[in-house]
Amino acid sequence: MLYLPVGVVFQNAIIDEGVLTLDAFSDVLTDPFYVGIFAEWVADPLAIGSHLGAVAGWLAAVSISLSIEYPVPGVGLPVPWLGIDTPAVRGGLFGFTAYQAALSTIASVALGLPAAYILANYEFRGRRTIRSLTILPFVLPGIMVAVGFYAMFAQGGTLNSVLGVVGLGPYSFIEWNPLAIVIVAHAFYNAPLVARITVAAWESVDIRAVETARSLGASDRRAFLDIVVPQLLPAVLTGALLTFIFTFMTFPIVLALGGLQLATVEVWIYDRVQRLAYTEAATLAVLETMLSLGLTYAYLRYESAQTGLSRAASPPPKRPLFPDLRTALSPRRLAIVGYGVVALIVFVGPMLSLVIGSVTDSSGLTLDHYQFLLNRQLDGESFQTLPAIAIRNSLLFGLGTLAIAVPMGVVISVLTARAGRVGTIVDTLAMVPLAVSGVVFGIGLLQGLVFGISLPGGWRLQVTGTVAIVVAHAVAAYPFVTRNVSPLLSNLDPAMVESARALGATRYRALRDVELPLVASGIVAGAAFAFAISIGEFSSTVILASGTDSYTMPVAVERYLGRRSGPAIAMGTVLLAITAASFIVVDRVGGRFEQ
Amino acid sequence: MTDLRLEAVSKRYGERDETAAIALQEIDLTVRDGEFFTLVGPSGCGKTTTLRTIAGFEELTAGSVHFDGTEMTGVAPEDRDVGVVFQSYALFPHMTVAENVGYGLRFRAPPAGTDADDRITELLELVDLPELGDREPGQLSGGQQQRVALARALAPAPDLLLLDEPMSALDAQLRESLRRQLTEIQSELGITTVYVTHDQAEALAISDRVAVMNDGQVEQVATPQTLYQEPATRFVAEFIGDNNVFQGAVRATEASVQSDGGTVHDQHEEATVAVGTETFTLPAVPNGTDRVTFCVRPGALSQSADRNRIPVTVETSEFLGETVRVTGRWNGRPIVLQLETVPERDELTVGFDPAAVHVIETE
Repeated sequence: MLYLPVGVVFQNAIIDEGVLTLDAFSDVLTDPFYVGIFAEWVADPLAIGSHLGAVAGWLAAVSISLSIEYPVPGVGLPVPWLGIDTPAVRGGLFGFTAYQAALSTIASVALGLPAAYILANYEFRGRRTIRSLTILPFVLPGIMVAVGFYAMFAQGGTLNSVLGVVGLGPYSFIEWNPLAIVIVAHAFYNAPLVARITVAAWESVDIRAVETARSLGASDRRAFLDIVVPQLLPAVLTGALLTFIFTFMTFPIVLALGGLQLATVEVWIYDRVQRLAYTEAATLAVLETMLSLGLTYAYLRYESAQTGLSRAASPPPKRPLFPDLRTALSPRRLAIVGYGVVALIVFVGPMLSLVIGSVTDSSGLTLDHYQFLLNRQLDGESFQTLPAIAIRNSLLFGLGTLAIAVPMGVVISVLTARAGRVGTIVDTLAMVPLAVSGVVFGIGLLQGLVFGISLPGGWRLQVTGTVAIVVAHAVAAYPFVTRNVSPLLSNLDPAMVESARALGATRYRALRDVELPLVASGIVAGAAFAFAISIGEFSSTVILASGTDSYTMPVAVERYLGRRSGPAIAMGTVLLAITAASFIVVDRVGGRFEQ
Repeated sequence: MTDLRLEAVSKRYGERDETAAIALQEIDLTVRDGEFFTLVGPSGCGKTTTLRTIAGFEELTAGSVHFDGTEMTGVAPEDRDVGVVFQSYALFPHMTVAENVGYGLRFRAPPAGTDADDRITELLELVDLPELGDREPGQLSGGQQQRVALARALAPAPDLLLLDEPMSALDAQLRESLRRQLTEIQSELGITTVYVTHDQAEALAISDRVAVMNDGQVEQVATPQTLYQEPATRFVAEFIGDNNVFQGAVRATEASVQSDGGTVHDQHEEATVAVGTETFTLPAVPNGTDRVTFCVRPGALSQSADRNRIPVTVETSEFLGETVRVTGRWNGRPIVLQLETVPERDELTVGFDPAAVHVIETE
């Protein structure tokens, strides 16, 4: 189910009218549009001397300067500006994709680490809630986040409304620096991931080890550097690597906020598909998949080299965040408050803007946007995008996804719980969907199953777009089921099943009486995740649904966004409500998604 | 009740011969009806694997297991009528204590004259936890969980009770009181019991008979007393209690062996054996013996004995109340002594009576 579509994409890239050829690859690899200056290297790999010379010349031209700048237009706020003046490098499409992924990774780590510090070291009301909220980004549809950022930063967005109160603006933030907005949106997604992994590592640090270091003469600071930091570093790197992989394959956020002006590989592939340039799309898809598979392989190797995080016998104690007024005014506490404000703007702002934007326009409170959706539903032509059909499709596909992803995820969990090589291999293969982007997968399904594959004997394997969408959703969703069920299953004491059997239960009865009840919460949580993933899935759906009426809510949001922002924002709010409902289910049954 | 027989039971892990790890090698054991039988040995010796083959959790590579003369090969664990208590207790966390104890009664009828609820009450009383039926297992202490696990295993009145290191997660005092409770329940019910432990003192204290295992093989099966006094192998001699094991060359044989009608009469009263530079007088050994391995318990080495005297350099003294355990060296060999008082000097001379010597092996 997973490998067939990827195989189809691969086949498309290397076979041209029945002839095996690598022309498509060499075309891409020697085109500066895609790979920038590396095109020369690929075209003429033996001219090492001139390549090295080019690198040296580039390095010599780098200049670093420090100056006072006024970065906020119209505001006389001097900021010391470290100017690193590099001669322009043509990184091409791949270069730009990696560049924005690297910036996004830096932003995510910068935003995530303070959160990890606060969550791991301070006790305050709502700490547990916030800690469990860090799983939220995984169930938030990318297109909805993009619309949320749009509602916040657009010319008529909430940020400009707020600034307007104090007589500033309006500024066109998105047009002014779309890359910055995209990167903040990526941080919205991935900083909680970094924070979550780091908090887990931080809480597994044994405070007795720190105390031992102190008693051996290390200062507070030294003990932190020598004992705590080395145990946090692997977690931070894991988070950074995952962030890089995810943002390398970013699609809906860039598509909605940046458009082709900021095209990443993924967006360009989508564009090629829209223009029916399938071979070029497939070639790009294969190159992108090879890169992301390489990164994922590096991640898995790195992860397996880490010892498992177990909760320490004595985790670090948590201090009260604001015990009294004096402590509350200490520089450290003030910095925490400052971070809190930034976090509030980045994380709550877009979601709040989404809801606010759906009930306001330039003239104040209004229900016009919802009215538009209703009217469209009532009066719309069948070729238009109708909200009710989008909602119905989303719910149906969500149920279909559950029917496939839950059994599939549970079976894979059971297989991987078995010790030995088979378990390890299945575990690795099962995580591959994380490395194959939705767009690539969508193309594979489209060209393979939807257009049909000829089988020997005159048979033809062909499925409808609807089935293909459910398949795509299920493949994206089942790792979440596996990741929720597997820890519970592997924590089960095998002696428990053996006890049941010694008491007279058959293997099947033991499964029913002992194993299933004990992993039930994981299955329900995994199912809720799977449902939320299906509801929010955009990348492969937008390809498979193009030109058909199998569109889902996220696709509808994107289609509306192209014309008028109000209805898109309203549709996004509906999406938010449904996603929030499935998140509440996850939270009630104690869902988890560690890494 | 039930007796249990293992015939040439072998267990190998892994497919290919060169990489296969041998867990059990031709184990022969007989456990009598109603007996408290213990498997003891260092970790990795195969004792738990043996228990699991009896319960039916491990498939045998060769050999057979018989309950009351019936071969159990191919019989699923749930059809064997055994009660098993694991080291981890393995209580079902999503069931109450009473539901745990009653779980086996869903599949096997309680003994005649009782219904399931009576049986649960009866078992909880037997293990001294009559009030705890409604609790969750997580609310109980380790010792209580252990007793619930025992009650659960016993509820369907199994033919055989199998216990896999059930005490090892408990502290020493609790272990002793639970051990006493276990032996009382066992003798009251008269149930055939196989107990696995790595603790030789525990094995000696509770068992009718003990099998000492090492490296997938049974070294000796005997009563605790025989095991202690007459270890059959060097491994048993060193594993069971403190011991001083020596190996020496037989120097002097005084008389000959008279043979009449095929029966060999050993005429030797005593033999002289050289260990290093020292010679010892030992009980008689069969004629033609070149080398002999023998042991002397620490208690048999005393300062007042006037034969076989050796100088010992004291290294450590542990005061144990009634006695003092002293370790030291003689000619570089480790020596363990059991004295009544802490020695005041670093050099002691101790001796032993030839009658206190147990000869383990001759060759």
